[in-house]
Amino acid sequence: MTREEVLLDFTSRFNEDILDFEDKSNIRAYVRIKPESIVKIGTYLFRNIGARFNIASASDLPNNTEILYHFIIEDINLLISLRVLLDKDKPEIESLGKEIEAFNWIEREMSELLGITFIGHPDPRRLLLSDDWPEGVYPLRQDYEEWDKTADRTRGV
Amino acid sequence: MSLKLKALLKSPWVFHLSTGSCNNCDIETLDCLTPRFDIERFGMLLTGSIKHADVLLITGSCNRMSVVRLKELYAQVPQPCLVVAIGTCAASRGIFKDSYNCPLPLDKIIPVDVYIPGCPPKPEAIIAGVVKLIEKVGSAK
Repeated sequence: MTREEVLLDFTSRFNEDILDFEDKSNIRAYVRIKPESIVKIGTYLFRNIGARFNIASASDLPNNTEILYHFIIEDINLLISLRVLLDKDKPEIESLGKEIEAFNWIEREMSELLGITFIGHPDPRRLLLSDDWPEGVYPLRQDYEEWDKTADRTRGV
Repeated sequence: MSLKLKALLKSPWVFHLSTGSCNNCDIETLDCLTPRFDIERFGMLLTGSIKHADVLLITGSCNRMSVVRLKELYAQVPQPCLVVAIGTCAASRGIFKDSYNCPLPLDKIIPVDVYIPGCPPKPEAIIAGVVKLIEKVGSAK
């Protein structure tokens, strides 16, 4: 399929789930979707279209918590970024890790650094932070404050 | 100079430890061991085990995960042992000074003998730093 056919098929198939579609450039498309339909669309892109899951990225915006799932369709050189906006007070989304193994670790990382809950994740342990890190403190949030009173912020000796 | 220290300076065996660096300093450290720079001229040899090491080469900004390992390794080094901080991260934590994951600078965790600044330092700088260290320790009576 060509680029136009893929995008047309994708947008018509998930017309109800897509909130916003931005054809950014020749190699890039941003699609904002409803958070509840991420598993449906993500597995469709991965399994049926044959896209490669590149990475997911999350950030703490002023009003929302945002996740971008980046899928690459290498045959037509197109990067589709699925954008979901979550409730900032209670960021929750269904896990793709239970369907596709590649999502497992990045979801663990997003949940420990930004406090996003992935419902149904097969292995919701921590990935990167150390064991003495306190529960409920998320370092990449805007309102993060230093919890470790022993930390030294000078340049050393 | 104690006999132990004198023996150490003839052929200091180095152990290379990365505490969460971006690997650039590690590449430069490994460059020193290649024939082009060849620190074996000074009798230095890279060891695989910390228990055979006389000099610790430390790179990276000491994040929370690696600090635990660093302390464990430092407890196993046969004393006397010299510590060399390679790169800006190990010397002063560089841009990671206020990072949530880097609570302490290296020299607040273990005593450091030589700082080699640079991001990354050139192999020549690393060699010069280590040779200066050997001279300094050798001249101290």
